[in-house]
Amino acid sequence: MMERVKKWTDKNLQGDPIIWTVVLGLSIISILVVYSATGTLAFKKMANPESYLFKHSMLVLLGLFAMWVAHKLDYRYYSRISRLALWLSVPLLLYTFVAGVQLNDASRWLHLPFINQSFQPSDLASLALIMSLTSMLSKKQQNIESLKESLIPILIWCGMICGLIALTNFSSAILLFVTCLLIMFIGRVPVRYLTMLVFVGALAGAVAIAVGQRGTTVVSRIESFVNGKELPFQAEQARIAVATGGVIGKGPGKSNQRNILPHPYSDFVFAIIIEEYGITGGIVVVLLYFILLYRGMKAAYNSERAFGGLLSAGLSFALVLQAFINMGVVVGLGPVTGIPLPLISMGGTSMLFTGVSLGIILSVSRGDIDISLSDKKGIMRNMPKAA
Amino acid sequence: MNIKRHILLRVRVAFVLMFIFAVAIVAKIVIIQFVQGEAWKEKARKITYQYRPVKATRGNIYSDNGSLLATSLPFYKVAFDPTVPSKGTFDQGIDSLSIYLSKYFHEKSAAQYKNMMIDAREQNRRYLMVSRRLINYHVKKEVASWPIFREGRYGGGVIFERVDKRFQPFENLSKRTVGFINENERGAGLEYSFNDILSGQDGEAMFQKISGSNWKPVFDGTEIRTIDGDDIETTIDVNLQDVAETALEKALRGHEADFGLVVVMEVETGEIKAMSNLTRVGNGYRETYNYAVGSVMEPGSTIKLATALALMEETPLRLTDIIDTGDGSYKIYNSTVRDHHEGGWGKLSFKEAFEKSSNVAMVKLVDKHFGLDPNRFLSYLDKLHLTHSLNFQIMGGGVPKIPRPEQNGWSGITLPWMAHGYGLEVTPLHILTLFNAVANNGKMIRPIIVRSMGKADRVRQEYKAEVLEENICSRETLARIRQLLEGVVENGTASNVKGTHYRIAGKTGTAQLLKNGRYTNRYMTSFAGYFPAGNPKYSAIVVVRNPKGWRQYGSNVAAPVFKEIADNIYSRDLELHGSFVEEITDVPMGVFPVIQAGNREELSFICNELGVSNHTVDNEKWVKTKINGNAVQWHSKEVKPGIVPDVRGMTLRDAIYLLETAGMRISHRGIGRVEEQSVQPNAKVKKGELVILSLG
Repeated sequence: MMERVKKWTDKNLQGDPIIWTVVLGLSIISILVVYSATGTLAFKKMANPESYLFKHSMLVLLGLFAMWVAHKLDYRYYSRISRLALWLSVPLLLYTFVAGVQLNDASRWLHLPFINQSFQPSDLASLALIMSLTSMLSKKQQNIESLKESLIPILIWCGMICGLIALTNFSSAILLFVTCLLIMFIGRVPVRYLTMLVFVGALAGAVAIAVGQRGTTVVSRIESFVNGKELPFQAEQARIAVATGGVIGKGPGKSNQRNILPHPYSDFVFAIIIEEYGITGGIVVVLLYFILLYRGMKAAYNSERAFGGLLSAGLSFALVLQAFINMGVVVGLGPVTGIPLPLISMGGTSMLFTGVSLGIILSVSRGDIDISLSDKKGIMRNMPKAA
Repeated sequence: MNIKRHILLRVRVAFVLMFIFAVAIVAKIVIIQFVQGEAWKEKARKITYQYRPVKATRGNIYSDNGSLLATSLPFYKVAFDPTVPSKGTFDQGIDSLSIYLSKYFHEKSAAQYKNMMIDAREQNRRYLMVSRRLINYHVKKEVASWPIFREGRYGGGVIFERVDKRFQPFENLSKRTVGFINENERGAGLEYSFNDILSGQDGEAMFQKISGSNWKPVFDGTEIRTIDGDDIETTIDVNLQDVAETALEKALRGHEADFGLVVVMEVETGEIKAMSNLTRVGNGYRETYNYAVGSVMEPGSTIKLATALALMEETPLRLTDIIDTGDGSYKIYNSTVRDHHEGGWGKLSFKEAFEKSSNVAMVKLVDKHFGLDPNRFLSYLDKLHLTHSLNFQIMGGGVPKIPRPEQNGWSGITLPWMAHGYGLEVTPLHILTLFNAVANNGKMIRPIIVRSMGKADRVRQEYKAEVLEENICSRETLARIRQLLEGVVENGTASNVKGTHYRIAGKTGTAQLLKNGRYTNRYMTSFAGYFPAGNPKYSAIVVVRNPKGWRQYGSNVAAPVFKEIADNIYSRDLELHGSFVEEITDVPMGVFPVIQAGNREELSFICNELGVSNHTVDNEKWVKTKINGNAVQWHSKEVKPGIVPDVRGMTLRDAIYLLETAGMRISHRGIGRVEEQSVQPNAKVKKGELVILSLG
């Protein structure tokens, strides 16, 4: 039996087996916690609680499927795909800002006709930007110090995409910007430029607050975090969830705060994890993400090309940084944001693109798949050979 | 340095940063759980949150011309979150706000209000009930303009909690038909029957429990929005309803009856134009139960319409056929049926027997033709929809009780007794539906009272009266039946209501009431019919239970009420006066005669003559008018010795009489009614003072 399972996984699930295992583990946790947390939502909408379980499980499977598809492809193709996706995301973001479905005051959603699903273009744009960024950085490695040749085109893209996202979803934009800074740091961009960038980013942020849809929300959230006088409702309730969780938690499905906490199945799902599974459960989840980051870094180590290394490192850092920021918000290390916990929170678009980015990390860990690519000139021209 | 090694070095630096982040997260969890744990747990115990329903605004109930029969009026409770306003706003406005509050609510002094608000602000209390009193929308607007409060919910911290109250502008008018609904979703009438449509969909929002049993909304963005209820438009004509109710109440008072009801229906459409049910409560009459729809009762002689119909359909019986009613009593098995005419009528034609409402004739005929096959007779009642619920739009419709040969208790006299209205029970609405079918050329339609539902101008659903029976009988039978019903008024039991310039057709009914299984000398009197007889426009039924005094019959109790209503409708419904239309077109419609103030008896007399419905609120001699719907209401104008009377709106004659009686001198200018008086009303009278009246 075990033999056959191993044979099947060897054939179909290639790349780093530890990443596969961790993702599977997180998926199971996700289904358990979201099922518990959507109880209230189901009750409010007079729906069968199992309907959310079913829907969410389907989305988890969709994410895993996307991951499987993405890991089948040689990672070097992603350089070109990412540029295409980047161009595509600009009009999508603009369109969403103008005409998106109004949800929670901000039009982050695009309604897809025919399949009748909402779609969040910022997820697509984020992934596309991160991939393009690593691609551009890897090509410019020889003269990375040159501001005009290397940095300016990179910055134009970063600024444009982050700015467009900031119009509707400020926290996602900041997350993306920080992620980009981190990737640029890894991609050997000199620290002095990065410092400068932080200032430029802050300036751009201020402008986005002034013109975007979320201006007042952002100001009030930051204000309440900095003043610390009184916690916003969600933060306070999340804190109570964490405090009452104890060491081993109240047990699966026994959360009280899920009835009170807004969005217990997405932005504040980590609070429910701690409430139901205690600090133990919380540490396990943090560890799982940490292992993910470590294995992504490992793939970067082993990668023969700068693109592969940067891609794998960039994506794993992006994913884990998002996870940590989400957790940080829950435990009160930062102001309230609207960032979901990747792989765990309920939400279709997020699941899909998280799956894709994990698939790409796996693809890098597999090394060069398509021999025909290696002989060609083109995207790999400036790539330094690994020692 | 080698590029790759350089990259990997930076990766390691980033990795370490992430590690620190992870450690920080875990450390913060530890702090929350073990350092601040107790404080948070305490907070969790103390504050209770709950998802609570948020009531949707209930839809309105309209009359047939859009007058409001029932509506929800918003009232507000004022509360204050003193932590919201900025220091500048608070300090600047607190003094004057306190004065306003004290002046309006009279519950505390301005200083007390001020201290209360300052204390609450210092203690960071986020909710302060200003007053438990409910204020209406106009006051709310005013309160919202007070200092601090004028900055709004988020700038000034004022909280208006909305409480909807159901309000029926016409008060007692058709109260039971409009109905009610209580918090347990029980109720009656339209409010109850159309509750699903009217109530809309309640939303839900998170509330936090605050002092006492009050709940304060937490605006956390997870609310389920409410969907307001739809309005329903009824077929009730407020004027007609008023006419019907006034006439009924007058009769009930006159006869000291237990209860009474009137239903008026438009023949062609089946629309209920008026539905009034009055029950004696103490010395007055109130709408407490909808007998017309909900209670089944022995109909008495009005059922003879169905009997005559069955006989004429089944047999070659003619109106001129002679029946011997003998001395007015007839023994069948071991019971005796009697006519109410002492000594009997002897030989009568079938038409005369119907007009005089001879029980003997009906019993003999039915026993002869249906005695062997009672089910044949019952099949006619089935076809006339007298044997099952009408499925009227108001819920709780009575289900008829009809004996059947296969049931226990069926005997030889069951059928003959049913033929003259005993032993079976139907609702008054059943009888009216039957009479309406006769008026409507044989087409029986289910009455309706709700015409449409929707919101504002958007009608979502229309209700049409359903045809129950295309033809209840043959053309010939129908023509004869109409002859019979007209005969009842022309020559028969209801001849006391003839002599109108339009003609009424109908049938009286007088049923003895059962008490402890025995028939007593108390009666249920009724009259069902339609008018004008030639081209019927309205049908109606009047039922009065247990009239006291010497008048105890359908003819002299119920029929006059019918006539009064019919007269009133006729005098106002221009469509009924074909030929007069030309002459009176330039009389503006819907304008009241100029009556503003004066002697109540005189004004009331004029109104009654002109067919304007009028009510008295109090029994003062001198009154001024108010318009309530399309009726006039008299309100007293106090006339006290030594006080200058209010003569505005009166004619000069009345004004001079009143002022001179009070000992004042008068001069006047202009023509018309008094518009102004130079000495203000309610001032002390100075003997011989000159009052100048301007008329206009």
